[in-house]
Amino acid sequence: MNAGFEKRLIVVWLALSTITIVQLGVGSIDGRAALARNSAITASAILIALIKVRIIIREFMEVRHAPVLLGRLTDLWVVLTGAVLLGGYLAGTAFPKG
Amino acid sequence: MNAPRPESAPPAPAGSFLRRIAWHWRHDEKCELWIGWWTLVVFYNLYGLLFFVITRTQPPPEPSLDPMEVVQWFGDRRHGLLYGYALVFIVGGATAIMNATLAYSIRRMSVSRAFAYSYLVIYALATLPGMLLMGVACTVGAMRPDRDPAVMSWLYDLAFLSFEGTMGVFLIGSLIWMAAVLLDENGVFPKWFGYLNLCNALTEVVVAPAWIFQSGAFAWDGSIAWWINMGVFVIYTTAFLTLLRRMILREDFGTGPLPELATDPAAGSAP
Amino acid sequence: MTSIASTRSRAHGSPETERFVPGQPDMWAFVLFEAFVFTAYFTVYVFSRARTPDVFRQSQMHLDLRVGVVNTLLLLTSSLFVARCVQAAREGSYRAATTNAFLTMLFGSVFLVSKVREWAMEIGQGFTFTTDEFFSFYYFLTAIHFIHLLIGFVALAVAVRQLTSPARRSQVIVETCATYWHTIDFLWVLIFALLYVMR
Repeated sequence: MNAGFEKRLIVVWLALSTITIVQLGVGSIDGRAALARNSAITASAILIALIKVRIIIREFMEVRHAPVLLGRLTDLWVVLTGAVLLGGYLAGTAFPKG
Repeated sequence: MNAPRPESAPPAPAGSFLRRIAWHWRHDEKCELWIGWWTLVVFYNLYGLLFFVITRTQPPPEPSLDPMEVVQWFGDRRHGLLYGYALVFIVGGATAIMNATLAYSIRRMSVSRAFAYSYLVIYALATLPGMLLMGVACTVGAMRPDRDPAVMSWLYDLAFLSFEGTMGVFLIGSLIWMAAVLLDENGVFPKWFGYLNLCNALTEVVVAPAWIFQSGAFAWDGSIAWWINMGVFVIYTTAFLTLLRRMILREDFGTGPLPELATDPAAGSAP
Repeated sequence: MTSIASTRSRAHGSPETERFVPGQPDMWAFVLFEAFVFTAYFTVYVFSRARTPDVFRQSQMHLDLRVGVVNTLLLLTSSLFVARCVQAAREGSYRAATTNAFLTMLFGSVFLVSKVREWAMEIGQGFTFTTDEFFSFYYFLTAIHFIHLLIGFVALAVAVRQLTSPARRSQVIVETCATYWHTIDFLWVLIFALLYVMR
């Protein structure tokens, strides 16, 4: 197998795994703290997840080498998902139930 | 050997609507296919109108209504339910033509005829939970408004659970169509439609929790079990109606690969 | 050695002529569609969660974050192997490709077992589908993902079937199956963040 590609895949995998393990630390933070800190954790969790997702899409799924349109469509999904999730979180916080 | 277009047929006329219809009736060898397709289009539109506007049973009401609220619900819709579903029962037989048209598409594929036949059987059965049971339960409820509220509540649950919750038939049916499309070597439908069938099948699974929850996202009126599900279904239905039309335009009555749509407008006409 | 030359040129900001869609474009259409459907599910979850955050946070504490991390690492590794499989197949190393496909299945299987054990553990502690809103979403999201994963095994089986016979070996089909597998991986990455990490 082409050594350059093989190495790149492993580097990507290491990066993704490291980020995941870092999330172990973030996720262990007590959730009973202030809303501001919880919102920060939530926002960073979503953003970090989307960064990982984009890396998977561009590297593992080879969208880097795909026609530009596919790259734009997948980026559009990533951005929309981020917007809608963060928006949903904000909206839910603004309209609490009970 | 592909069946040739009849050389003796005069070309499709331009001109008034009735003249064109008359030409298709007399000369178009795909006449039955077009009748089938138009039945699908008319029926789905009618279905939407009847369920969403006239009977107002969709979007579905909350499962958590108490018996007196259920009685009120039936009362508010009494005439819509009775007349709307009467119409549904009258035109319900059209589903036979619709299912035959869909099964025809599967027959045109290179896969075993068993796919088409099993699809036909499943979707024939599907009209019972997918339309008729709900219609019967709602009309029975609407017919005598002074019925015991507990009985009305029972009819209400029967109507909506049978309609929203019995997705197993559609699940298997979608998987059959998916498998046929993905295995087909005649190119009747693009592969993405096979995958869309998988999406549709999976959304049927998502509806299953409606049997358990009386409120929230997974109840029969929930944002996940109904709204997102319905969104996927509408996209799916629009897709197959469009693809069936293309199939009929491309149809050459052969058994080999279906030819691509000619860009030459004289090559074929659709009513 | 033209294949190495062309793959290397792809690595260095490829000329437009080298660009290609991995696998069938049809699969990409499906991937994008499913991704949007899942985004819709996630949005409902996040919105519901933000409305009653305390209930969700309390229940979330009954999940084991370490299990979530391990599961994520398992799927990331499985994705690594299927990506290697695609590259091996592209260069004609079909035995290596098949081995990588089987390694993908191995890590995927360990994930399945881990998930079932996690469910058993939660149910054993009394947290079921109907316990509260958080657990409804937990079981729903993980179950629908699980079903997608099972379908992923079918895709991998199709890929292996292609790789093991010289009469077949369609690169397009192998790439199509890999694309589907990666989708299950990245969907899990999001599910992990939403169920286990977010507050």
